[in-house]
Amino acid sequence: MIREPEQLREDRPVLEATNVYKSYRRGDHVVTALNGVTLTISAGERVAVMGPSGCGKSTLLHLCGAMDRPSKGEVRLEGQRLCSLDDDQLTRLRRRQVGFVFQSFNLMPTLTVAQNIGLPLLLSGSGEGEARTAAEELAERVGLTPRLDHLPQQLSGGEVQRVAIARAVIHEPTVLIADEPTGNLDSDNGRRILELLLQLNEQSRTAIILATHDESVAHQLDRIVSLRDGQALNTAS
Amino acid sequence: MNLFRWFIVRHLRRELLRTIVTVSGVAIGIAVVLAIRLSNASSVRGFEAALESISGQVSLEVFSPGTGVQEDRLSDLQWLSEFGAVSPIIDGDVMVRAAEGNDTAELVRVLGVDILRDRPFRDYRLVDQGSSPFESPPRVTTQTFLTLLTASDSIVVTRAFAGRHGLDVGSDVEMLVGDRRVPLVVRGLLGQDGPGQMSSGNFALMDIAAAQLALNRFGAIDRIDIQLDSDWVIDEAEAAISARLPAGLSVQRPERRSAQVETMLAAFHFNLSALSYIALLVGLFLVYNAVTVSVITRRAEIGMLRAIGTSRGRILSLFLGEALIMVFVGCTLGVPFGQVLARLAVNLTASTVNTFWVAAAATVPELSLTDVGWSLLIGVPLALAGALAPAYEAAKLTPLAAVRGEPDLSIRQRVSRWYVIAPLTLFVVAGVLSRQPPVSGLPIFGLGAALAVVFGAALLVPVVLSQLQQLQRWMPWMQGVEIVIARANLGASIRRLSISVAALVVSLAMMVAIAIMIGSFRETVVYWVEQTLQADLFISGARQSPVGSRDEISRDLEQVVVNFPEVVAVDGFRAVNVSYGESTIIVGSGRFNVLLEHGNLLFKAPRNGREAMAAAIGESAVVVSESFSLRYGVQVGDQISLPTPNGSKLVSVAAVYFDYSSDRGLVVMDEPLFDRYYDDRRPSGLTVYLRDGSDAVSVREGLLSSLAQDSPVFINTNASLRQGVLEVFDSTFAITYALEVIAIFVSMFGVATTLLTLTLERRREIVMLRLAGAERSQLRWMIMAEAGLLGGVSLGLGLIVGMVLSLILIFVINVQSFGWTIQFHFPVLFLVQSSLFILMATAVSGLYPARLAARFTFADLRED
Repeated sequence: MIREPEQLREDRPVLEATNVYKSYRRGDHVVTALNGVTLTISAGERVAVMGPSGCGKSTLLHLCGAMDRPSKGEVRLEGQRLCSLDDDQLTRLRRRQVGFVFQSFNLMPTLTVAQNIGLPLLLSGSGEGEARTAAEELAERVGLTPRLDHLPQQLSGGEVQRVAIARAVIHEPTVLIADEPTGNLDSDNGRRILELLLQLNEQSRTAIILATHDESVAHQLDRIVSLRDGQALNTAS
Repeated sequence: MNLFRWFIVRHLRRELLRTIVTVSGVAIGIAVVLAIRLSNASSVRGFEAALESISGQVSLEVFSPGTGVQEDRLSDLQWLSEFGAVSPIIDGDVMVRAAEGNDTAELVRVLGVDILRDRPFRDYRLVDQGSSPFESPPRVTTQTFLTLLTASDSIVVTRAFAGRHGLDVGSDVEMLVGDRRVPLVVRGLLGQDGPGQMSSGNFALMDIAAAQLALNRFGAIDRIDIQLDSDWVIDEAEAAISARLPAGLSVQRPERRSAQVETMLAAFHFNLSALSYIALLVGLFLVYNAVTVSVITRRAEIGMLRAIGTSRGRILSLFLGEALIMVFVGCTLGVPFGQVLARLAVNLTASTVNTFWVAAAATVPELSLTDVGWSLLIGVPLALAGALAPAYEAAKLTPLAAVRGEPDLSIRQRVSRWYVIAPLTLFVVAGVLSRQPPVSGLPIFGLGAALAVVFGAALLVPVVLSQLQQLQRWMPWMQGVEIVIARANLGASIRRLSISVAALVVSLAMMVAIAIMIGSFRETVVYWVEQTLQADLFISGARQSPVGSRDEISRDLEQVVVNFPEVVAVDGFRAVNVSYGESTIIVGSGRFNVLLEHGNLLFKAPRNGREAMAAAIGESAVVVSESFSLRYGVQVGDQISLPTPNGSKLVSVAAVYFDYSSDRGLVVMDEPLFDRYYDDRRPSGLTVYLRDGSDAVSVREGLLSSLAQDSPVFINTNASLRQGVLEVFDSTFAITYALEVIAIFVSMFGVATTLLTLTLERRREIVMLRLAGAERSQLRWMIMAEAGLLGGVSLGLGLIVGMVLSLILIFVINVQSFGWTIQFHFPVLFLVQSSLFILMATAVSGLYPARLAARFTFADLRED
């Protein structure tokens, strides 16, 4: 049974970004990517982040996914302040609680589909057999069973993204970060990938933050956060 | 040109570390090849230089094989003066030292001349000890020299020698000849002119009669020098003199002696040169790597250049230009470094050359423009060949693919079947080549076989790497995510990896082959020494070298030894150098009956060698060494013609015996036959057999105390001589190991830069791993595991190929070069130790790329 979005959400916040700033030094210039953004995401919630290129979408996702630290402000994942963690602690946190899907460069080209899907488990210390079993289960759910022993270069764009999604959720993360996951796909494949993401969200209660340029994609999620020049303009449901 | 400066030169500066590593690799490769070239040249040049400075204005020389020209024949040679000026000469290498204190004796070339006849031939200038070495002193009158050299104890040494030994005019020196000390007085000092310019000033002049006395050359001279009158053409004069000379005398140009030395050293030098080129080849793999890294990391820039209209040819030439810059700088640095290495190489090889071939002070020639040109001539084409593949890959890039930065994913585990067929074909070719005979005494086909094996192994590398995925099937314990990813990465990077792994495989295979060859040779020599060095004591003169030795053991000394109660038998050995074909062999004598009763020779043929040797006593028969037999194709029962002072003499070969003391070829005859053919000179050394149960050390002490306190003889016990033999052996092969260690280090550079290439190429994948939860330590282990796997694969293949190569080295190249049979021996301990070291070293070579991988940040994925 597919639940209504309201049923999926819990009020408990899993991710809180409070007044975060992020600037980079490029040569002699300082580029401000985020300029005081505040965002709270509840468990199982699905949030779209929209805005023109260079508005700070990916930077916000990187901060939310514990891939980077804000220049100012605070990010909490499951109540844990990310600024207080060192690199190894952040890595372990990502391994347990975060999943990623990108527009491209999602997979290890030298590993098979099964190995790519099972990678987070392997990195957590699971044996190859255990990781393989889990990968097979998930591959079945995303419709990739016949492709388990193929290499990424033998797959279509849609299949690559399905593998990426399977890998992103194999460890049942709290938050799934998806940066333009349909950006490289045709509309049919894009639609299927989005359906898969939503389906997994329903099954596992993983919150999703998804950056996209595509309004039709954004409108299928619970909430839309619009960014411009590093600032959140509004939040629409 | 601007584009080249902006695109290539700036990049090389920006990537300074990588540029330095590559340039250093090329410089080391060039330096090693040049060093061996210079050091090979120096031993021949040292001999030539000595010959030139001593030969002066000599056009031709008349000599007698082995033992010199008997003085009683001189009256029959008066006609030689029809051709020009004639000067009889005594010429020898002896040990000389200051008489006072504990001075260390040095080997000095002593020339004994009749100064009245010799003045037109050579230029002698006397100097004061305090005068400047840069001033050219005045030529001394013949009268002055006559006065100086009149006394029979007079000697004139060079200022350089005098300076080193604290001597001046009037100082006492002593010459050590066999068991005699000959006291002499320095009557003058020579400047750096004529013979005085001999290397390090190791030259001394004496009156001919005094030199005969000092060197035990009574009644004989070494040769007659001839300075042709200007109306003679040298070829015609040589032919005319040759036609008139009685049997047993020959005429030749002095330069021929250099040619003979070159022939003698040819095989030794040839093999060293072949080894040195491996270091260069391995160094040039680094150029391939450097250009590959350059192309990979700059795909976007290449795309940009292509997009704005830069042609493929231009891109190709830019990257070939990058290789050229590196090889130019590498050569420029490598050439002076080569000279430094050459000095080290000369030090390492000098004792070998002096022990086995010629006593010549080897000096490294000064660098010339020719050396720089030669280095470029060798380095540039090889560097261009190395850079061609990656440069072509860059030129092939489409603007779109390059700008997108898409990695090249066409690389897969499956390799063409040609990578199986080609190596197999090369191995068959190697088998065929290894059965071919030598060319002019050089193992050309043997080396061809070795090269075929090496190239075959290199071509096999992709097939071996493609099997890495099967590793877990064979080694199920090799688990862990780092190893899973590492072996997947390696299996997918076959094209990138093959060349640098092949370089490492080649240098490791050579190291293994050489280690097995040297280990086998050493074991064979140890066995040979144990079997043949049966005597208890060995007595020799001050100069403990058999080559050109003037040492003689006096009858008095031999009598003292014979009378010693524990002594049961004494054998005497002496040897002369004799021209044979285009080279020089050693004709020696021993006492066959003593050898048969107390000693032992290992016979190769016939089976009953001892009986054949016994039958040779009293006959015109000889035993020959294996190297003589192989080099000149002589078998038991053959007759050979030996040049003697009394003309050529036919002797039959009674037996062939194993000998590892010289590759020049030894012909040994019983003492009475030697006396008949050559002369009745005293032996240069004695071997002494003691009664069973005697203590050799205490007999040695007893003998030494029976001799005059200042007797310069050396008495070695059996144990100390065996140790000495192995020391000479080990020092002989020190340079071989040194060359190999250099090649391995350079190839380690290659592995490190390949790993660096792969790491940079996989930057995004590595960041992806970090995203998926890989800790920095896991990334480091992953790269280290890749390095370790590469090391393991290279080592495994290197060991197998090395064993095959060792068979070619031992049973083909060595036999063809030196004429020695070597028993195969596998040096287990050495190979285990070096394998562990190499595995560790390759893993360590992954340290820098591993650290780099751990430092990649998510900014590499930022697409905002």
